[in-house]
Amino acid sequence: MSVRVSAKLSGARMARASWLGRLISKAAARDLSAFVVPGPEVARARGLDLRAAGLDFSPTPRHASVLVVVGRVPEGLREAADVVYAQMPRPRAVLAVGTEDVWYLPEPDVSVELDQDELNDGVAKLRRLFTEGAFDPEAEDFEVAALRSRTQYTCSMHPEVVQDVPGTCPKCGMDLIPREAAVDDGHAPADQGLGGHAHGGHDHAHHAGMTHDERAAEEGQGHTDHSHPGREYRHDGSQHTEARPTEGPGADDEERNPKEHGPAHSDARGGHGSINHEGMDHGAHDLGEEGHGHEKHGCMDKGGMNHGSHESMDHGAEKSGEHEGHGGHEGMDHGDMEFMSMVEMTQGTPRSSDGLQMEWVETPFGPLFPGLPGGLALTFTLDGDTVAEAEAASTVGARAWEDLNGPVGAFVERLARVDPLAPVSYRLLALRAVESAAGTRVESEVELARVSALERERVASHLNWLAGFGYLIGYSWLARRAEELQLALLRADAEGMAGIRPEVRKLARRAEWTPLLRRKLGGLGKVPDLAGVTGPVARAGGRWTDARMEEETYRSVGFEPVVVEGNDALARMRVRLMETERSLDLVEKAGPSAMPSGGPEDSASGRGRAVVETPRGSATLVLTLNAGEATVAELETPSTRHMGLVKPVTEQRELGDALAGVASLDLSPWEIAR
Amino acid sequence: MSALAQYALLLALAAGVVGLALSLHGISRSLGKPREEEGKDVPATAGKLHRDPVWARYHVRYYGYALLFLAFDMEMAFMYPWAVVYKELGLVALLDMGVFLAILFLGLLYGWSQGALRRQ
Amino acid sequence: MTTVLVIVALLVGAYLVAVLESWTSTGRLSFASPLLAGLALVGRESLVPRKSDRIFFEVGPVLLLVSAVLAAAVLPLSPGLIITDLTTGALFVNAALAYVMVALLMAGWGPDGAYAMVGGFRFLGQLVGYSMPIVMAIVGVAMRAESLVTTQIVESQVTLPNAVYQPVGFMIFFVAAMAVCFLPPFDLPTAPGELAGGVMAEYTGWRLAVMRLARAVLVVTLAASVTVFYLGGWNGPVLPPWAWTAVKTLAVAAVMLVAGRYVPRLREEHLLAWYWKFAIPLALLNILYVGIVLIAGSSSSMSM
Repeated sequence: MSVRVSAKLSGARMARASWLGRLISKAAARDLSAFVVPGPEVARARGLDLRAAGLDFSPTPRHASVLVVVGRVPEGLREAADVVYAQMPRPRAVLAVGTEDVWYLPEPDVSVELDQDELNDGVAKLRRLFTEGAFDPEAEDFEVAALRSRTQYTCSMHPEVVQDVPGTCPKCGMDLIPREAAVDDGHAPADQGLGGHAHGGHDHAHHAGMTHDERAAEEGQGHTDHSHPGREYRHDGSQHTEARPTEGPGADDEERNPKEHGPAHSDARGGHGSINHEGMDHGAHDLGEEGHGHEKHGCMDKGGMNHGSHESMDHGAEKSGEHEGHGGHEGMDHGDMEFMSMVEMTQGTPRSSDGLQMEWVETPFGPLFPGLPGGLALTFTLDGDTVAEAEAASTVGARAWEDLNGPVGAFVERLARVDPLAPVSYRLLALRAVESAAGTRVESEVELARVSALERERVASHLNWLAGFGYLIGYSWLARRAEELQLALLRADAEGMAGIRPEVRKLARRAEWTPLLRRKLGGLGKVPDLAGVTGPVARAGGRWTDARMEEETYRSVGFEPVVVEGNDALARMRVRLMETERSLDLVEKAGPSAMPSGGPEDSASGRGRAVVETPRGSATLVLTLNAGEATVAELETPSTRHMGLVKPVTEQRELGDALAGVASLDLSPWEIAR
Repeated sequence: MSALAQYALLLALAAGVVGLALSLHGISRSLGKPREEEGKDVPATAGKLHRDPVWARYHVRYYGYALLFLAFDMEMAFMYPWAVVYKELGLVALLDMGVFLAILFLGLLYGWSQGALRRQ
Repeated sequence: MTTVLVIVALLVGAYLVAVLESWTSTGRLSFASPLLAGLALVGRESLVPRKSDRIFFEVGPVLLLVSAVLAAAVLPLSPGLIITDLTTGALFVNAALAYVMVALLMAGWGPDGAYAMVGGFRFLGQLVGYSMPIVMAIVGVAMRAESLVTTQIVESQVTLPNAVYQPVGFMIFFVAAMAVCFLPPFDLPTAPGELAGGVMAEYTGWRLAVMRLARAVLVVTLAASVTVFYLGGWNGPVLPPWAWTAVKTLAVAAVMLVAGRYVPRLREEHLLAWYWKFAIPLALLNILYVGIVLIAGSSSSMSM
């Protein structure tokens, strides 16, 4: 494949090309800014220098004109890619790098191989496309199911009445009022919903709560429009706390087993059902089904859940105390209370750490957030600018490790492709496990070359992390320098490597002496319990855990782990910087590196175990070989363990601090099984 | 220039800026309206369609500072005229404002000691 | 005529600031880039988020530009080359710049977007931090000039610029000025890595162009106010007065833009704590210091 260019710009702005349009087209062509999917870190890890190609990074799709897709985007991220593309103002374009598989987006305007020269060429072609066709009277809309919303009509007094056409309420005869809802319709591919669902019940439950809320709000205030959305939120808050106890178990279940979404969902529903009451409940469900008549299953599910949660909430309130329940209703029923008392206003809203009752807003910070690795779907429940609750999930990880099973050769390739941020580590892990199962002995030169390759990847990975981290904390010099060094490293031969060492040392010293950096990062992202934590995160907490200490080859080149006290973002940055220097030394001692390859003959059988210290910590693989067929028995990756740290480093922290805390963990969403 | 004329000029400047914005709007509009497409007008939040409103009672954590700020801001209103006549009045002015500032400064110290100067 | 000249100077300054800013963010120094970016932005769709507070959303960027331009209107480029020489000049600068906060808060609230909302309120916090030090620093300047008229403030520095006369005040004002125009490391409201654009996130097309222009003008205005209040404005040998103001202003703007590259963004809690625990006491001490020096100076001149 070489550079392929589409006939005209798919995201052209719909207009006739006037002289002004032509002038603007020329300007737009020279002013391209890119939003990268899955993320700039993946582009860097693959050695692509978008800046050198003339594309500036944009932190938000709103300010970007080119959507750059790097490599194959996993299913869980495609919906997000759609959303991001849809939110870019026209004229806009898609640039696919190293992937043909972008059917979920419009036909790429330019697609190129994973290669810098092709990328440069591709951007030049893209500029020409912009110059020629930024305005096009026949521009087509971008439509995919994931983006669709539909208007439902609901009664302000009877929230259980929901239908797709305007009309009057069968219960009270009032005019129904419109409301927006997401569509889960059957046209979407089977896993289209995964992006959303990966968040598990929480998201879902909350969403259901939300729609219900709006209804509740409208019920209460008799508003027929959204002129007081702030009000609506008050109810959301009350829903939040009151519904949580009943929703808790169901939601949690789903969070932990996103795969068991369906069952957990109905569990949750069951739970509500049991609290639900008599005919009212029936009515709700019937009507719900009527209302959703021509929709597919998923949506009905949601609808059901929705009603369930509503009823349970109402009854919960009534049960928990006549008075409180009544109070709540009073607030709702007696409509346009412009002058309601503070006590009523804050009734049932969640309490912050300082005892004030405020409204919390659930905000996504991923999967495509500029400061975090792409695919890490972080959701913060924000209490002002403070994170009250945090949920993290991966939308790009392997669906299940079982998918990796297969003949030895294919297995190694598959595992190597799991994490684009650490391909060498996983290839090595697979090979070692296979060799251990087959009982193959590996010669020490081969092992040395592998060590060299692994350490090289560690340097690249740490620098890549530093580039992203520098961007997040707003230290642009550091981000830029780390990026330059990382890209130089990927292209460097032995001589080039020697040139990089002093540069990395300089970078490390510079970071050490940067004013304010120590103050900013010190004490950020402390982890209360380091049990089960590996890699730089553990070593930054003073723990001597490093799988490399047990390896003969490493001992032969005089390896010693970097251990630092501190257990905060600063210590983690220091560990990574020091490790970068030390790994460069190791690369020099170990000699030329070679991508791990080979493997035993196809017919081998046995059970094997391997440990590799990846840049993020030790990964363990246990597998069984059966006549050349590899089956994963156990695969433990560092990020899977570290996902549990997201809550302690974020909750009750200021937003920026929380994000820096998460970034300091260097999570790779790719190595997390969903 | 009379004071009135000066303010008229400032008003004209403001109007000119508004005019500039409107003319940019006009140029942009002459190229056509934005296409209305699904999902496009939902605020961008990291690749998820976040349709829920975010207008809520926002919890500012710096209210301790904000309250002190009010006290100090009031005081600053007195300081400008004082600064202008300071040299003329000499030591008296220094003492006058010194006492005033000392009291205010004590207030700051007291607030500090009581933990007003931190994120709540 | 003077008005037109000053406006042109302001725009040229803003253009150069935009060139510098694009250089710091992309690493390429291109004199055409702001023009291209501006044209491209005007040609792009300008989207209005659904269910937004339309008035706040529309007013935000324009108000930001208005407040920056109005503040610049009372700053002299050279004797006579000033739009309006108000008797309350220094106070007016403050009053106009207070609307920066209002504009950003409106831009944060308007679009009903989560990131913008946080950004807007972050800037309000930032104002609570920077605004006292900036006001107190100006008081020190006004004490020496015995006037709030900006041209008189410049004339008071003929012998010695305020940056040397009251260095503490200068440092405080400079840092606070960077916070006013939310440049890194004070870019909390727009933080690309933390808020994906924050208050600017929902602006596209011509509205974004206005926002970016406003920001550039704001940087020029603040740099010019540093020049006028502390660097002696048009005073200087050889070059014509207007050139001195221009050179000083651009130099200050360049320092403001480049400095932020080499430090990480401040944490909100640190920003507030440092302003209130260090900058405000220091600014008060600066007033005291200026007061004592002034009295000592006048009494010694009397005795002479």
